[in-house]
Amino acid sequence: MDLFEKLNKLKEQGEKEIKASQNEQVLNDIRVKLVGKKGELTQILHSMRDVDAEKRKEVGQAVNTVRDQFNQQLQEAKEKMAEELMQKKLAAEAIDVTLPGKKPNVGNTHVINIMAEDLEKFFIGLGYQVVQGPEVETDHYNFEMMNLPKDHPARDMQDTFYINPENLLRTQTSPVQARTLEKHDFANGPLKMVSPGKVYRRDDDDATHSHQFNQLEGLVIDKNVTMADLKGTLEVVAKHVFGQNRETRLRPSFFPFTEPSVEMDVSCFKCNGEGCATCKGTGWIEVLGAGMVHPNVIENAGVDSNVYGGFAFGIGIDRFAILKYGISDIRDFYTNDVRFLGQFQQEEAK
Amino acid sequence: MLVSYNWLKDYLNLVIDPKDLAEKITRTGIEIADVNHPMEGLKKIVVGHILSIENHPDSDHLKVAQVDVGEEEPIQIVCGAPNVAADQYVIVALHGSRIAGNEKIKRSKMRGVVSNGMICALQEIGFDESVVPKQYANGIYVFEHMVEPGTPVFNELGMYDYIFDFDITPNRADTLSMEGAAHEVGAIIDQLPKFADFAPKAELPDWTNDFKISVDEELVPKYLMRKVHGVKIAPSPMWLQIRLWNAGVRPINNVVDITNYVMLETGQPLHAFDANVIKTNEILVRQAVAGEKMQLLNETMIDLDPKDLVITDGKTPVALAGVMGGLDSEVTDATEDVLIESAVFDGTSIRKTAQRHNMRSEASNRFEKGLNWDNTQKAADMAAELLEKYAMGQTYEGTCVGNNQDKPKLVIKITTTKINKVLGTELTTAAIEKIFAQLGFVTETTGEEIAVTVPNRRFDIFIDADLIEEVARIYGYDNLPSTLPVGQQTLGGYSSRQDKINHYKKLIEHLGLFETINYSLTSKEKAKMFTTNKNDLIDVSWPMNSERTSMRQNLLSGIMDTVAYNVARNQKELRLYEQGRVFDTFNGEFDEYEHLAAVYAGTDDPTNWQHLDAKTDFYYAKGQVEAFFDQIGITDKISYQPIQVSGMHPTRTAGIYLESQLIGLVGQVNPIMTKKMKSLDVYGFEINLEPILDLEIPTTNAKPAPKFPSIKRDLSLLVNKKVTNNQLVAVIEENGGKYLQNVTVFDVYQGEKIAPSKKSVAYQLTFVNEEETLTDEVITNSVEKITNALAEKLEVVVR
Repeated sequence: MDLFEKLNKLKEQGEKEIKASQNEQVLNDIRVKLVGKKGELTQILHSMRDVDAEKRKEVGQAVNTVRDQFNQQLQEAKEKMAEELMQKKLAAEAIDVTLPGKKPNVGNTHVINIMAEDLEKFFIGLGYQVVQGPEVETDHYNFEMMNLPKDHPARDMQDTFYINPENLLRTQTSPVQARTLEKHDFANGPLKMVSPGKVYRRDDDDATHSHQFNQLEGLVIDKNVTMADLKGTLEVVAKHVFGQNRETRLRPSFFPFTEPSVEMDVSCFKCNGEGCATCKGTGWIEVLGAGMVHPNVIENAGVDSNVYGGFAFGIGIDRFAILKYGISDIRDFYTNDVRFLGQFQQEEAK
Repeated sequence: MLVSYNWLKDYLNLVIDPKDLAEKITRTGIEIADVNHPMEGLKKIVVGHILSIENHPDSDHLKVAQVDVGEEEPIQIVCGAPNVAADQYVIVALHGSRIAGNEKIKRSKMRGVVSNGMICALQEIGFDESVVPKQYANGIYVFEHMVEPGTPVFNELGMYDYIFDFDITPNRADTLSMEGAAHEVGAIIDQLPKFADFAPKAELPDWTNDFKISVDEELVPKYLMRKVHGVKIAPSPMWLQIRLWNAGVRPINNVVDITNYVMLETGQPLHAFDANVIKTNEILVRQAVAGEKMQLLNETMIDLDPKDLVITDGKTPVALAGVMGGLDSEVTDATEDVLIESAVFDGTSIRKTAQRHNMRSEASNRFEKGLNWDNTQKAADMAAELLEKYAMGQTYEGTCVGNNQDKPKLVIKITTTKINKVLGTELTTAAIEKIFAQLGFVTETTGEEIAVTVPNRRFDIFIDADLIEEVARIYGYDNLPSTLPVGQQTLGGYSSRQDKINHYKKLIEHLGLFETINYSLTSKEKAKMFTTNKNDLIDVSWPMNSERTSMRQNLLSGIMDTVAYNVARNQKELRLYEQGRVFDTFNGEFDEYEHLAAVYAGTDDPTNWQHLDAKTDFYYAKGQVEAFFDQIGITDKISYQPIQVSGMHPTRTAGIYLESQLIGLVGQVNPIMTKKMKSLDVYGFEINLEPILDLEIPTTNAKPAPKFPSIKRDLSLLVNKKVTNNQLVAVIEENGGKYLQNVTVFDVYQGEKIAPSKKSVAYQLTFVNEEETLTDEVITNSVEKITNALAEKLEVVVR
């Protein structure tokens, strides 16, 4: 038989065997048989002694081509086998991906402080400093500096926890404003501040009263601050907290530390102003008190009220949260049932 | 204050819809909490005339009445009221009518007898119990005069009216009268109200020469009396009763009703004395003397305070000024001559007296908040005239005067520029003058300066800011522009201290804790727990109850209240924290400190199906504290030592030290405390943040990541049980040489395999040389040095 014929036959047969091999062991045997040191291709090379010298080169090239082909086919077959093995292994590793994952514990801010932080950040954006002050205050800062001298009838409006005749638990966070205004240097620009924090009043705790609650009071003092500025400021805050579609109105009111004094109502978010139980049929819900700072308050802080003036407002943080989230009992804030607290986990992301 | 729309029509020409008017008043002056239309929801309720009455055959308390209700035939009605009688004119709810509470009345049988409707009490057609005349409080209402049967009752009883509930702020006491309300409404609708003049006939001779009044001139700036003879006590006329009950005042008799009516109209409280009781013909108004007593109208005997102002007959108190009359000087059926007192008392004095004796009244409220000084004489005259008309009285000529000071006229100057500057408006001087005219204020304008004379009835106005408010509200807050403050830019932000606290809170929340807010006020016992603070508690002087007497010195006891609350509701997997202040006092100074505290109970993932939940224990809690200190970069300054603190487990609690300062604790809450909480194991920590907030923590100075690999060696030690980790680590670090970077304990074993007095502790040591690759020799030398030192100092055996 012609060497070429033999080579062709070997090529066909080898390819067939490689394709048919089922495992690495068999494949290795085939490799040895075809391209091994004593394999069939080597034998063909050895039998070249009988071939014409000019044909030898040709045969040699043909043998090498077949060897390369076998090597490539063997490699491919080996890789394919490994791949299949891996696939089999992975198939055996199947798990139920619908089972829940292992979640890390993630805590949450109290809803009162979610509300407080939201307001603080809003005012920071408007250029306000957030200022803290003592919760155990003096009568002087809590009342007298705020234009509530001893014997002022409006002190009846605020039942106070006194510690002694001079010291008390603050009933409002406005004493922080008095303290800050007293120290403020107007050479550095206007005073724009909010003072958030706990306040205390002698109320029996029930669904709508709490002896401890939270306020955020704001103060802006400069040479040309107007009531229109107050109105504009309150409107943007109300819309920020209660929604851009809310309408607002100002009503005259009375606070000893502001004149004129107003209260702000927003259109009821339950009924959109139609009148319902939440707004007691009026279509409006009272949300805060405010006004132009009383000249006595400015003078008490050692600032000339003929030159400087401005506005102040007081936001009940608890009240804002109650209204915004539809909370029915103020005691829920302070009993801290974890099921109550947990429901506000996503609020900060909104 | 309840303001009747119909009554307002005496002074103003009102054509505006009452609800629209209420909205306008709310927006410009006084909040109207409610507009009540008394007949709203009622129908088919008419006057009936009881023709005859018989006992019900099957009942001992029901009566069967034949009632003329203006129809062809009388109708039969069964009635159970004790006061029903023949020939009465009564309120009849017909078949198909609707009474108060949206209740329908239908023809029915009562114990077998047909009843074609219902004879009503005032309460049944919507009257408040507090205004129903006493004689009809427990039965049906009976008209005191003849009324055509079949007439709807609504007009007859004044129910065709709109009652505005004025929610009056303390400064606007000027509207605690119909006159004040009329001025307010008039300003809003741009009408000047008109008021009638009063002058009694005064046909009896002048009495003022036979009577002497002297007063404390400082506390009683005005004190006037008129004397009326021969009054006959009787029910007031219907119109007067209607005005009173629509104003929320119960009609009593003509004399009392007239004094109340005058107060409602003018705002001036009056008091009527039985003149015959003042036998001395003298009135002396003075402060009480210590030990003095008097019996009041309501029959209570009170001990007078030397600061109480009393009306006396020269010797004995006959009334507590401005608050309540005395029992002895009360006007009764036997009274012949009445003294009408119209006065202005010092508001603070009256307020304190009313508070002291817990007797606030309509009168004391008005004295406290202020009166119109122009109405003192008018009110006395008005009362005298009405007593002539409705109580058959005859007035003596003359008013006896104890004091009659005048209030100096207050003139406030203000400029258009100032008003516009404060309001942010561009009002013209003419527009401002117009507003003051609407308010009834007299003005005089020079250029742009307006001099405003404040009438005495507006005793709430003192300074230009008050006038600016008047302009703003009448102009309308709705009409103000909306702007934001302009001017020099300011930097908004938190203080760096607050920034840090906010950051700490976020760190703690990322460790899985839920924030709680607990009460600062707590019991003395709880306030002093979980703390080593030796300073005194801050106590409130008048606590509401024994649970809220003192300001807390720790946060943990508040959080433990929250734990108890949750455990009682079967919530036992708890990870809670609080950031807030604690308080103490030392040498008269009050101090506040920011604290951070947390508790852990249960496991951290109780329903995990792979059981990868961790049971919270001491080391869990301590790990959280350590993670917190890691995150704020002060771990190398922190150490832990056993400590005993009330409320905490005596042997499972560590004090947390910042360098040498005790700043907090971490450990197990004493199981005695949690016995009532289903014996839950609770672990927690509390840290005083103040020393941490004061630390200056430098900015990180960056280093490249190490170029040479670190080498780890494990060390297994057998040690005496009492030897602590702190001791072992100290020796290791001291002897580890300069390449020892980290020492981590990775196993602690006590048990069967080793002696009972011993424990096995294993450490992993990490060595790093930043300059070159470490050789085995260097490390072996270091380890040998460590083990030798451990053996020598702590009798450690290396295993």
